[in-house]
Amino acid sequence: MTDSFASFVADPATQAAMSAVRQLADGPRMAYLLVLVGQRGAGKSHLLRAVRDRLTTAVPPRSVELVALGRLTDLVHNRGLTDAGAALRDRLLRADVVLFDDLDAAERQVPVQAFLYDVIESRIGAGLATVAATGKSLGGMPNLDSRLGRRLRDGTTLELGRPSAATIATILSRKIADVGGAVHPGLAAALAAVGLRSVKEYLGALQRILAVQGATPTPIAPDDALALLGLEPQTPPPAPAVVAPVPESPANSSATEFDAFLTEVVANVSQQFDRWRGRIRETIAHWQAQGIRTRRLEQALLSDAGGDPEPLVAAFGHDASELQRLVAEARIIAPDLAGAEVLRDPDQLAGARHLVLEARARRAPLSAPLPDLTLARLGVGPSNRVALETIAGVIAEPGVRSNPLVLIGPSGVGKTHLLHALGNALVGRGVGPVACLSAHSLLGELANLKSAEEVAQWRARYQWVAALLIDDVHLIAHEPRCQAELLNVYEALFDGARPLAFTSARPLSELGGFDPRLLTRLEGGTVVDVAPPDREVRLAIVKAMLAETPAAGDIGLLDYLAGRPADSVRSVHGVVQRVLAEALAERAVPSTAFAREILEAVETKSSQRDRGPVAPSSGIQSPGMGIVRSREKMILTWPTADDRLLTEFP
Amino acid sequence: MPLVNFTAREITCKLVYYGPGRCGKTTNLQYIHGRVPEARRGRMVSLATQSDRTLFFDFLPIELGVISGFTTRFQLYTVPGQVYYNATRRLVLQGADGVVFVVDSQARRFDENIESFQNLQENLLEQGVDVRQLPVVLQYNKQDLPSDLILSPPELDDAFNFRSVPSLPADALHGTGVFETLKALSTVVLQRLATRAPTL
Repeated sequence: MTDSFASFVADPATQAAMSAVRQLADGPRMAYLLVLVGQRGAGKSHLLRAVRDRLTTAVPPRSVELVALGRLTDLVHNRGLTDAGAALRDRLLRADVVLFDDLDAAERQVPVQAFLYDVIESRIGAGLATVAATGKSLGGMPNLDSRLGRRLRDGTTLELGRPSAATIATILSRKIADVGGAVHPGLAAALAAVGLRSVKEYLGALQRILAVQGATPTPIAPDDALALLGLEPQTPPPAPAVVAPVPESPANSSATEFDAFLTEVVANVSQQFDRWRGRIRETIAHWQAQGIRTRRLEQALLSDAGGDPEPLVAAFGHDASELQRLVAEARIIAPDLAGAEVLRDPDQLAGARHLVLEARARRAPLSAPLPDLTLARLGVGPSNRVALETIAGVIAEPGVRSNPLVLIGPSGVGKTHLLHALGNALVGRGVGPVACLSAHSLLGELANLKSAEEVAQWRARYQWVAALLIDDVHLIAHEPRCQAELLNVYEALFDGARPLAFTSARPLSELGGFDPRLLTRLEGGTVVDVAPPDREVRLAIVKAMLAETPAAGDIGLLDYLAGRPADSVRSVHGVVQRVLAEALAERAVPSTAFAREILEAVETKSSQRDRGPVAPSSGIQSPGMGIVRSREKMILTWPTADDRLLTEFP
Repeated sequence: MPLVNFTAREITCKLVYYGPGRCGKTTNLQYIHGRVPEARRGRMVSLATQSDRTLFFDFLPIELGVISGFTTRFQLYTVPGQVYYNATRRLVLQGADGVVFVVDSQARRFDENIESFQNLQENLLEQGVDVRQLPVVLQYNKQDLPSDLILSPPELDDAFNFRSVPSLPADALHGTGVFETLKALSTVVLQRLATRAPTL
């Protein structure tokens, strides 16, 4: 089928534009936005109609919208854009190809320009082709909206130059042939040689001559015909260079060869840049829809950075996501911050972090680790060496190594001290706020939450800590709500590579009443057993406790107290504190004998109470098992007078 | 030479036709020159000896207009094929964005083709260009000659195309395969725009 492309008279000045739009009409691989620039009558409208004709008659037909912006401008002037705008916009966004003619007619129409920008931008985002034709160069329209101008300049501009006189003669000859009738054979050439401004003017002049010719039986001589129009005859152009419709794909046609090459280059370049721009625009639209400022991406778009857009998109996405997390937290802990500009702009992420940190600080403080329970004050021995080395790993790489850490051991072996010592070390390392609390406190906090808002605040409070350390986690067995909340917090912290640590007095395998999801997460961490304190640990504890007392240098006392049997750190503490308290009460300096007197008398009384009536004995008792070096015997009590009698030998 | 100048919003591609003497490099450029509309081509600079052998190099600039907001131009060069002009070849090769290696399909010119191909690789190596990264297209020219005088494209592929680059048969004198070769190279060169590191 012959369409408008066949009737377009090609010329070197218009060949590239024709080739590009024909490519658009023939196949999908073409620039998304083509801008045809050419003076009035250069053939822009002809090409647009040719695209429309070819696409609408294709099999299957494609939807095309050809919009003359002069008419749209009139429509807006008469009815306003709001009436017709929505329906038209909808139609234009659905069409496979949209062709805007007379773009320059919208130069002073701000609403139309905004409408155009919106439509073109949306179509580019959707990967749909748009062609705009303008009689003025883009730089020659100072009143064009800057965004629209920039967008059009980003497209592929193809100029339709003024056709040569030979081409115009061909166009006129075809017109004469279409009309028919007796016309002087030199008329077309003579008229083409006259300097009119556009093809339209030539065709208008020809129409007038043909009208006169219709009333004249003999062909009018070219000079006479020109005289009718008041035109001076000029030297006719040589024989027309192009006399036939431009063939679609003749072999070795110079124009076709170069045009095919040019079209390939245009398609390649456009594809590269449009893909980059499309990806950046898509990202801008995505984040703007979520209320995030996208200045960084917009600047990249302006500078046409090109290349692979993914690193830029990923970096922006990372910052924007962090900003959204901060906004989510701010919404709960400080609703008054929700509108802050820094919480919308990823380029001000540092400011947003600072703002939220301040808000956290203003809130109820977290249960922090006890300052006295530090690593320095911890007795080290074989019983807790593994645990300490694991803790050192956590401190070196918080959230990376041994996450979560689970310390298992019977009551009083020093798990709490280890946990708080870890907390203090993390605080000292500057990881951020560290929550260190017992599972009992956790249960209490959750029990006090009455409203959904309070629950949300509680979650926000813990989900944003830098580290969470829970003591005696076994206490939340059969507490499904507490376990569910802890699981949520656990997930948030674990995903953010923030350290988690737990202690339990019972092995995990023996914990009943636990949500399997929480239990498997604990089992998946680093589980370390803490044994009852060995002699080295006990000696370190005693030394630390006596360090500030007059007995600090009493090696005998240290040895005696460390040698006392103890199944927990807590009992070592209790023994030393008892001796110190008695010494203080009696205003005595603690010594080995004093300690023995205090501790073993208590033991004797206690054991007597346990045994019932005192059996007759010598009253001489062996010192406790803890005394290693001393083998002396001591008489502590003389229960009965008979016991004091010694057999006298003659 | 930068492929894309974002400040000036220009894309400039330097494409070099390489190959042994009398293989048809200048013929390629002459054919292209004859097919590019006058408004879009610059003057073809050609410095030849009396026997029409390229003395220095041929240069043909082509303006492709504004594409996607970038003024796009191609600069086509040929190198002198004779062995003793290696310094000139190195000079012309500098900053090339892509190379068409024109192979003379005549069987008797096989060794010269090999020698020139090795010379191309040596010169690129000397300039620190990774041959594997530079877009290269092979053109098997003079395929119009009698078949008993020439090697077929598959035979030439066996000898030259060990990197599986695009290869096209051609008859540069009559234009067969000339624009196809240029198109193939420009496609590979322009596809590299996407792999360029971002400047932000």
